[in-house]
Amino acid sequence: MTSVSSASPGLAQNDPKNRLFGPLPDVSAEAGYVEEHPKRVGFFTDTSVCIGCKACEVACKEWNTLPMDDADGKRDAIGMSGMSYDNTGMLGANSWRHVAFIEQTRVVDLPMPAVGLPGAKNRPETTELPPPDTGDVNTTAKAQASVLNAEALAEFDPQTGQSGADKQIRWLMSSDVCKHCTHAGCLDVCPTGALFRTEFGTVVVQQDICNGCGYCVPSCPYGVIDQRKDDGRVFKCTMCYDRLTDGLQPACATACPTQSIQFGDLDELQARADARLATLQEQGVETARLYGRDENDGVGERARFSCCSTSRRSTACRRTRS
Amino acid sequence: MEGEHHEPSADAVLREINGFGADGELLNSYLQMKDDGSTSGGCWIYTGVYADGVNQAARRKPAKEQGAVASEWGWAWPLNRRMLYNRASADPDGKPWSERKKYVWWDEDAGEWTGLDIPDFEKNKRPDYVPPEGARAQDALAGNDPFVMQGDGKAWLFAPAGVVDGPLPTHYEPAESVVENGLYKQQANPTLEMIEGPWNRANPTRSDVFPFAVTTYRLTEHHTAGGMSRTLPYLAELQPEFFVEVSPELAQLRGLTHNDYATLVSARTAIEAKVLVTERVRPIRLRDGTVVHQIGMPYHWSYSGISTGDAANDLLGIVMDANTHIQESKVSTCDIRPGRRPRGPELLEFVESYRRRADVPSGRVGVNGRDPVDAKAGEGSTL
Repeated sequence: MTSVSSASPGLAQNDPKNRLFGPLPDVSAEAGYVEEHPKRVGFFTDTSVCIGCKACEVACKEWNTLPMDDADGKRDAIGMSGMSYDNTGMLGANSWRHVAFIEQTRVVDLPMPAVGLPGAKNRPETTELPPPDTGDVNTTAKAQASVLNAEALAEFDPQTGQSGADKQIRWLMSSDVCKHCTHAGCLDVCPTGALFRTEFGTVVVQQDICNGCGYCVPSCPYGVIDQRKDDGRVFKCTMCYDRLTDGLQPACATACPTQSIQFGDLDELQARADARLATLQEQGVETARLYGRDENDGVGERARFSCCSTSRRSTACRRTRS
Repeated sequence: MEGEHHEPSADAVLREINGFGADGELLNSYLQMKDDGSTSGGCWIYTGVYADGVNQAARRKPAKEQGAVASEWGWAWPLNRRMLYNRASADPDGKPWSERKKYVWWDEDAGEWTGLDIPDFEKNKRPDYVPPEGARAQDALAGNDPFVMQGDGKAWLFAPAGVVDGPLPTHYEPAESVVENGLYKQQANPTLEMIEGPWNRANPTRSDVFPFAVTTYRLTEHHTAGGMSRTLPYLAELQPEFFVEVSPELAQLRGLTHNDYATLVSARTAIEAKVLVTERVRPIRLRDGTVVHQIGMPYHWSYSGISTGDAANDLLGIVMDANTHIQESKVSTCDIRPGRRPRGPELLEFVESYRRRADVPSGRVGVNGRDPVDAKAGEGSTL
């Protein structure tokens, strides 16, 4: 008896066809597209440049004629979620793109350009904090005048006139969508063949075949695929399969005004994402990371991954000071 | 449109707005426009947006690949000038006021204005140009008159004519404010156009009854008062309910519950909205230590459409700027309390009780909508 456990033979990694995780060189070929097929496509979502306009959500609903829903996914209902400015709430049968508004608070380090004379070389640097506020107007004015860099500026709150432990707040606009997994739980459990792998490597539900059994819903590790209660069938992002077959980009990527949602060949996007990560880290955003990029974690590579950071340092507009 | 039955092409529309010359070629500058009907254009300020057959507005050259003005990022009207009246960045002789801040200047050798931005000045007009007697239009502006859209080419700080509240600018508090004017002894602009009437009672300034500052603003998802966007499902679901934003401090002070209703009251009326408690809204501590709470109020709602709610503008008074006759009451005062507002006659009595407490005349409207208190309120009033 070996010490290895209950793991299924699929975890032994010796037969790629049964493997439940890890990279697959060609998902479409694996799914039977043995002759020539298009390259695998995907999204790279760069949250550091998302402005939260929600054009992607609206474009997705327009193109796919999805019904209105409230923050709980209830069809044809509307209502406030209370989650900042986001009233979509979550991905679901009627919302295939979701941009969450996460209000993040921190004490210091406001991502703002350094303050100084325009064009001045050798801008003076100071790590000195402004003096504590004594309520005296002159001291306050001096404190304001002495603010020479972003850190010091963050320490001083011109609204309350307080220095020190004050809060700064920002929004993280976190855009989410179906990952079109390499090892897609929904696809694996679908008993009818309604879910299938397309020639682009994406995972799509055929609405005329889905019988509404709902097995796929708990099989998705991301809570993406969802049933319409009054209909029974499941719905999720198709990566605009109909548009792809016509040589168009998905609606969300087309509508995005800041190139936060980038669509393209997966290998090219991966290279672009790696470069973006390097740029952000070079700019001092130490906590920037790629999510869903690693081919060896979880569900294998995802045809959608994002560049994000949970810290306040993640904004791309943050400038490095020389 | 490209083709009679096709979807309009945004590109073709932009080219048409840019304008064409006599032979159908795209114009590069509004200076090429002729008054003989041989050229066309949607609006002169946009001519050049399609200069050289390129959609200039779609340019996205990163800042680090170009100069500080970033002239190749998008496009700005007119003629891609990024700063209007930029001849003022040079002294009367056409030399930059400061070498470090140089922006646009006169190049004597070339006999033209040049610089980092597109000069907003006649290209070959010398800085020492003096208009001859009887000169007209732009010829009447001297070489040191940078403000070329003004009749005299000058910018006025001292404005003896033209504005009713001149001749010098100053700071006034809004008609309804929670603070004293910190700059000037006159609290609010004395020339404001006030409209008297029971339906437009004013909150007294710095009143304990209306202790909070309130201001209106827009959300991305709706258009102005919402008449055009509240009917659209995909926009209505994104911002489905009228809400106000308050700080955690104000929520605690007034017992407001996040994502529950609150009632806002002014001397005009009371409206209800959902409450969004957020640290983005912050109390303001004044110089004397007083803390002022502010309420943010997106103003996109009313009774019609898919997403409906009380109208934010009902809370505001009608007070107009004396020069533009545009409403001044962007910032106002109010009270806020938890729960939904009363309905019907109870609402009237509720607001009337606030007026009594604030020492404001009655807001009861008499027969035919006329003021029972002020006989001059309406023509033909017999009260």
